[in-house]
Amino acid sequence: MASDNFLQQYEKSEVRTAWIFIAPLLLVVGIFVLVPVLGTFYTSLFLDVSYLPEQFVGLRNYTDLLSSPDFWQALRFTLAYTVAAVTLEAFFGVMFALLLNEVFPGRGLLRVVILIPWAIPTIVSARTWQLIYEYTYGIMNYLVVNSGLVSERINWLGTEFGAFSALVLADVWKTTPFVVLILLAGLQAIPEDIYQQAKVDGAGLFRRFYKITLPMLMPVLVISLIFRTIDSLRMFDLVYVLTGGGPGGSTRTLSYLGFEAFANDNFGMGSTVSVVTFVVAFAITLVYLKAGKFSEQLK
Amino acid sequence: MKQKMLFFLSGVFLFVLVLLLTGCQEQPRLTFMVGGAPNELAFFEGLLASFTAETGIEVALIRQSTDSTQRKQGILLALRGHRPDPDVMLLDVAWIGQIAASNWLEPLESYGINREDYFASIIKLADTYENRLIGLPLYIDGGLLYFRRDLLQKHGFAGPPQTWSELRQMAEQIVPVEREQNPNFWGYVWQGAQYEGLICNTLEFFTSAGGGFFNGTATPVIDQPANIEALRYMNELIHKQPISPPNTFTDMKEEEVRMHFHNGNAMFERNWPYAWGLHNAVDSPVKGKVGIAPLPGFMTGKSASTLGGWHIVMSKFSDKKPEAASLIKYLTSAPVQKKLSLKLGWNPGRVDVYEDEEVLTANPALKDLKQVFNNAVPRPIIPYYSNVSQILQKHVSAALANRATPEESLKKAQSEVQEMIKSYGIR
Repeated sequence: MASDNFLQQYEKSEVRTAWIFIAPLLLVVGIFVLVPVLGTFYTSLFLDVSYLPEQFVGLRNYTDLLSSPDFWQALRFTLAYTVAAVTLEAFFGVMFALLLNEVFPGRGLLRVVILIPWAIPTIVSARTWQLIYEYTYGIMNYLVVNSGLVSERINWLGTEFGAFSALVLADVWKTTPFVVLILLAGLQAIPEDIYQQAKVDGAGLFRRFYKITLPMLMPVLVISLIFRTIDSLRMFDLVYVLTGGGPGGSTRTLSYLGFEAFANDNFGMGSTVSVVTFVVAFAITLVYLKAGKFSEQLK
Repeated sequence: MKQKMLFFLSGVFLFVLVLLLTGCQEQPRLTFMVGGAPNELAFFEGLLASFTAETGIEVALIRQSTDSTQRKQGILLALRGHRPDPDVMLLDVAWIGQIAASNWLEPLESYGINREDYFASIIKLADTYENRLIGLPLYIDGGLLYFRRDLLQKHGFAGPPQTWSELRQMAEQIVPVEREQNPNFWGYVWQGAQYEGLICNTLEFFTSAGGGFFNGTATPVIDQPANIEALRYMNELIHKQPISPPNTFTDMKEEEVRMHFHNGNAMFERNWPYAWGLHNAVDSPVKGKVGIAPLPGFMTGKSASTLGGWHIVMSKFSDKKPEAASLIKYLTSAPVQKKLSLKLGWNPGRVDVYEDEEVLTANPALKDLKQVFNNAVPRPIIPYYSNVSQILQKHVSAALANRATPEESLKKAQSEVQEMIKSYGIR
């Protein structure tokens, strides 16, 4: 194993000291991460409702969840939302990062301005979007009606597709800056002389982007997309504020489903939803790592 | 070496100190947990000070936020953990079933409380669980119809509508005329977004059609014909010759509804009593133009109002039970309930306050409210009420959004509730 070789290059006493230094951190991670995660899994094996006798039910919570149409609806919605949001964030993230990497007057100011959405707490920006989508006074309806695009106001959150798009838009607005921020750092790590060399060899703008920028940006891009994907898979706050899961329960995400179970005092089912969300996020992250050949880059 | 030793010892000392300090907290004390707006909390703080002055019993206030979901979670955490604090707390009427069934509440009969002082129907329907008195109404809410008195007069109507079809007729006649000056004018605004308020409104529509959610406390009767008819009426308010705005089922919660009516954009409004004071505030555009009445029914006299409000209870795990009982008695005593009404505009849970001259002068609407509260219908007082509410919210909302017919959605709700009851192994 690689790790054995890795340790063998150190003295025994050095290894011991290293363990002592790492121990406090491991303890903190153990207490605040490992114990709650295992506790959640443990709770998910019980019928844990305060007014009923507590009862070990094995995997019944899981079979109940997987056989409920609400779960599949929420899973579909969460995945569709994640694909749409992350794709758009990747596209706009790369665009804005390239723009902000160029030298032009006012670049410093623009770099700060573009970060503002990311600095605002989601719950606050969700409230702002609520006002934007508002039927009577919202600016969205003001714009589409006054520009003559439509004659009647639109109830943006009134259909499943409308509510879906509204949520994606609010998410893209808020989190694209995060992708920009990471990509910008990645862009600055690409040595300028490679571009000079390519130019001398006669490579055009697009060729330079596809042959140099994109490949060298890939590791950073994959990292930022993993973060965004995991975040989107557990999205809760936008739904909580903007739609409350409506209309007709069509915009519930997995996290929202878990919240509903906890609100019903059904801690077993709430934990089950959390565990399943974790498994889904974990599986998708593995796919990313494989697809991005990321494990090779880590070495 | 010596320094290292000192460093180590001081670390141990700090650790032990922290343990000791948290241990000291465990001394029994009387606590009262309540949330609300800053002025409400300040008011309670004053009340607790005068309670201490009167009885010599020390009591601490545990503050909560205004958000009722967060208040519920805070209370559930303490009770699930069998904590001795809080001793006394306020519960929303919708949570009582769940918390009482968990056997977390101290029965109050043995502490010398006189039930006759309070609304008899509310004590019976909301504060009694399995024949034990487990709470008292601290203040009461019920759904009301607000209407524009000036516009009714202008269009030649004698009084507010008695039935839902009258409400529609009036709105259909008034709205087109008023829209000429105000394009945002609507006939009827009510709480239709997917949240608990939707269920309060739904219960009123269903009950006033002769339907309801449950027969007794165990048999769901959600898909009965009366309910389907009522849900169809609700849908048509928004979609067929609409008199309610299209965003009723997406945006409309209490405050959205209140603001709509407040800004002069609606003829009728369904809301809780709190809106009365705000509509009549000095800077209100509809000040002096508003009237209140019981909500209409599908037949005359079949009106229904959903019971809301907060109830004061004692935790079973309280370490200061006799003192807690004195606090409950104090907060539900006639002088304090009168203050509650005069200072905060809350509707007392005691009936005798509604006869008080001073209170009636300050708030003449109380006389009508007493009638409404006497006939208020509670949401089912069952342990799994929040599950039922969630299922109903989803399906009623689907019908309002035209994603399913009223019949389909209520049939699904009925079978989901039955399945849920079965999976919990209840009866």
